[in-house]
Amino acid sequence: MTIHLGRRFGRRSFLAGSGAVAAGLAFGPRFAHAAEEKRLNFYNWDTYIGESTLDDFNGATGIEVKMDLYADNDELFAKLKEGNPGYDVIVPTNDFVERMIEAKMLEEIDHSKIPNKVNLDPNFQDTNFDPGRKHSMPYMWGTIGIGYRKSRVDSVPDSWKWLYDSDRYAGKIALLADGSTCIQMGLKYMGHSLNATDPALIAKVEEMIIRQKPHIKTFAEDNGQDLLLSGEVDLTMEWNGDILQVMAEDDDIGYAVPQEGGLLWQDCLCIPKGAPHPENAHAFINYILDAEAGAAIADFIQYATANQAAKDLLPPEYSENPAIFPPDSVTAKCEASLYLGTDHVRMMDEAWTRILAA
Amino acid sequence: MAAIGIPSRNGAAPRRWRRSEPIGPLDYGRRLWLRLSVGAVLLFLYVPIITLMAFSFNDSRRNIVWNGFTLKYYEKALNNDSLLLAFGNSLTIALISTIFSVLLGALAAVVLWRFHFPGKPSYEGAMALPIVIPEICMGVAMLVFFARIGWPANMPWPLNLSAIIIAHISFSFPFVAMVVRARLVNFNRELEEAAKDLGASEWQTFRDVLIPFMRPGLVAGGLLAFTLSLDDFVITFFTSGPDTVTFPVKVYSMVRFSVTPEVNAASAVLIVVTIALTVAAMWLQNRAGKRNS
Amino acid sequence: MEHWRRSPLVFWATSLPPTFWLVAFFLAPLAIVWVLSFGEKQGLIAIAITWTFDNYGRALNALYLEIFAKSMWMAAVTTFICLVVAFPVAFAITFAPERWKPVLLLLVILPFWTNLLIRTYALIAVLRTRGYVNFTLEWFWDQGNWLLTLLGLGEAQLLGERFEPLTLLYNNFAVVFGLVYVGLPFMVLPLYASLDRMDRSYIEASLDLGASQFRTLFTIVIPLAKAGIISGVIITFIPAMGSFLTPDLLGGTDSQMIANVIERQFKSANDWPFGSALSFILMYATFFALALRAMLSKSGSAMEAG
Repeated sequence: MTIHLGRRFGRRSFLAGSGAVAAGLAFGPRFAHAAEEKRLNFYNWDTYIGESTLDDFNGATGIEVKMDLYADNDELFAKLKEGNPGYDVIVPTNDFVERMIEAKMLEEIDHSKIPNKVNLDPNFQDTNFDPGRKHSMPYMWGTIGIGYRKSRVDSVPDSWKWLYDSDRYAGKIALLADGSTCIQMGLKYMGHSLNATDPALIAKVEEMIIRQKPHIKTFAEDNGQDLLLSGEVDLTMEWNGDILQVMAEDDDIGYAVPQEGGLLWQDCLCIPKGAPHPENAHAFINYILDAEAGAAIADFIQYATANQAAKDLLPPEYSENPAIFPPDSVTAKCEASLYLGTDHVRMMDEAWTRILAA
Repeated sequence: MAAIGIPSRNGAAPRRWRRSEPIGPLDYGRRLWLRLSVGAVLLFLYVPIITLMAFSFNDSRRNIVWNGFTLKYYEKALNNDSLLLAFGNSLTIALISTIFSVLLGALAAVVLWRFHFPGKPSYEGAMALPIVIPEICMGVAMLVFFARIGWPANMPWPLNLSAIIIAHISFSFPFVAMVVRARLVNFNRELEEAAKDLGASEWQTFRDVLIPFMRPGLVAGGLLAFTLSLDDFVITFFTSGPDTVTFPVKVYSMVRFSVTPEVNAASAVLIVVTIALTVAAMWLQNRAGKRNS
Repeated sequence: MEHWRRSPLVFWATSLPPTFWLVAFFLAPLAIVWVLSFGEKQGLIAIAITWTFDNYGRALNALYLEIFAKSMWMAAVTTFICLVVAFPVAFAITFAPERWKPVLLLLVILPFWTNLLIRTYALIAVLRTRGYVNFTLEWFWDQGNWLLTLLGLGEAQLLGERFEPLTLLYNNFAVVFGLVYVGLPFMVLPLYASLDRMDRSYIEASLDLGASQFRTLFTIVIPLAKAGIISGVIITFIPAMGSFLTPDLLGGTDSQMIANVIERQFKSANDWPFGSALSFILMYATFFALALRAMLSKSGSAMEAG
């Protein structure tokens, strides 16, 4: 007997799915002919929006935006898996956009409602994980590299070797607590693509990390930059934006993308299936892609924006900051992570469990 | 039995510095080693809290090193509408959940203590399950459950918190039951019988004999249930939605990005508010007690 | 203990509400997850219930069993420490003047009304290399050195060349510390509830008969408080075994506990059937231990009720 416990669609199960988990929607079910309420439920990372963006949007359109927070893509995915609890716009990272497209969790974006998409950097107008940008619009992008304390390193640590294969900084190293990212960077260090699926290669990376474990202080759960700032570690694998935030507080901190290449990530704006206010969602996405609004956001959160028009409005301290916009020579070696199927995910997870248990 | 440690005075001079009175054998409350160990434990418990509160005044966004004194994060926290809403939600959920948990837990404890019935060991086992289950498993179970049965949407506050409240009650009441049961073990059934002999009905006996006896257990269980509910993150995360964010869930998503002093300020406020509420409750109870006697 | 048929009305009145709740809002959701553990992933979202034992098979392999064992060990150490630390506190509260009891109870509970995550970050601030414990120790070291210099022994560097901060964080010590920190009130409350109603004349009698305080403690007090101790142990051990935030944040590279693995299955590995299987094995094992204790204590409770 095979019972499929997947998500089902249709209006009845939309009600069941959306109402079920939230039990707190203050807006009614969507009737095709009624006008949408002037509300928007935005599910986003913390502090990942401009200081006044939501208020400005409200002022411009009269739509009130409510922003809820999640802390990682897995949480977002787990929450939405059983049905959309009522969110209109979400911000998954590229590999999760892929997963959601495959799992049919995203609405198609009507490009006619997003005239501001001409503001986008041409490199981001289309992408391989979402051909034709049918389900996503780019928001911010960046890299994963090495944050370091300048006064405590011999020279700029521009190789993964210092984190994966050397005891030079033993006891003062931190890696990300994300297993697949760690393994992927290990693959990059060994000169392979981070999307390699050969179990033998992954086993080799596993061995290498296990050998290196005695020198690693900890696998930082999203707070590597805090460890760097407090002097607990001197080198850490982290997202560029996080390191930038601590660089503002401490001049002795720097960021470098290793020569072997790091991870290139891209966060996108998407509309989950079953969103109660798709019209408002389109309007919101369009607003974010506006040059001025986009500039305000980028200036506040200091991540690299995919919005070329916004970038043009910002000062060189931003647009020419190598930590935010790495030079092409560096990005050439970086790769984006792809979703490679459930078997691959399982293999990576087991490898990581073995690494942690060793 | 006179209160332990305070010798009866019989009209003697008003109690003064008691060092001159020898410490009785049962006078544990005055023994040095006990006081020291309690002091040490309280120190252990409070040093992180105090640093937490001290750092809420830190003028630094990342809040790692001390950077100067400021009150601006308190301002931010108190003006942060979504934080306040989450706070309100948490308190509401905790209060309602505690009331129901104590009720259900007390009933369950009485049943298990008093009666023999077929299948009792399995019943006890089933009651232990909510304690045993990993939180994340229960969170997912509640998520899937509410999704499958089509829990109604669109309810006004506080009914929209019902899914979370139900989940909280489900995992709290067995804890209460366990605590109350530990207390009931020492109950002498002859007291009950005496009351019945004197003509009390079943309900009167329950109300006037059993419940007062259970009271410390009920209070301890209630405190436990309140704590469990207020601080619950995992299960609440899976049962909450856009309009039903609770304080731990909100803090968790904030803190993963930036442990700003704002979060510390909010926690400090929560602590102060809860102390105030509890002190008020205790004071009211004292007054009611005095009036009755 | 009476047979239920003797007062059926009372029995049904008291047992229906909790039973209904348990079945409807706990066992039913649990049953769904139990069924999931026999399923297989089909793609990203759908799960096909094929009644396969694969997930359990995978969960019983050496890698995961080792992690189970390690988690049990850490939880056991935590529980033991909690018991030893909480007992004097519960004892002190029991024997405190009536006025002080609620205040002391409140003082013990209060830290636990702070959000766990924030408390853990506060613990990090206390335990890390540049944290308060090390600052305090460094201060003592400086004073010690100053004293030594005063005594003319400065050159000998008796306290070492430089202050070596203690590594109190990102290792198993920190995880146990954090777990004890979280588990303490769960141990104090049941102990207090049980000690409070203990008949003190037993202690008096024992002391009158010449037993030392120590002996009285072990032969009289502890057996009388047995129910409270057992509750406390259970209420502390099990959440300790199931905790994942504390090992995540405070642990080093070696501190993975079973709950971390389970959490990963429900999140990044996206393998709900396997996560369910692991959770159920965890539960079966604990359930089994509880059932054992219930059966063993049946003979004991007859003695206590009398």
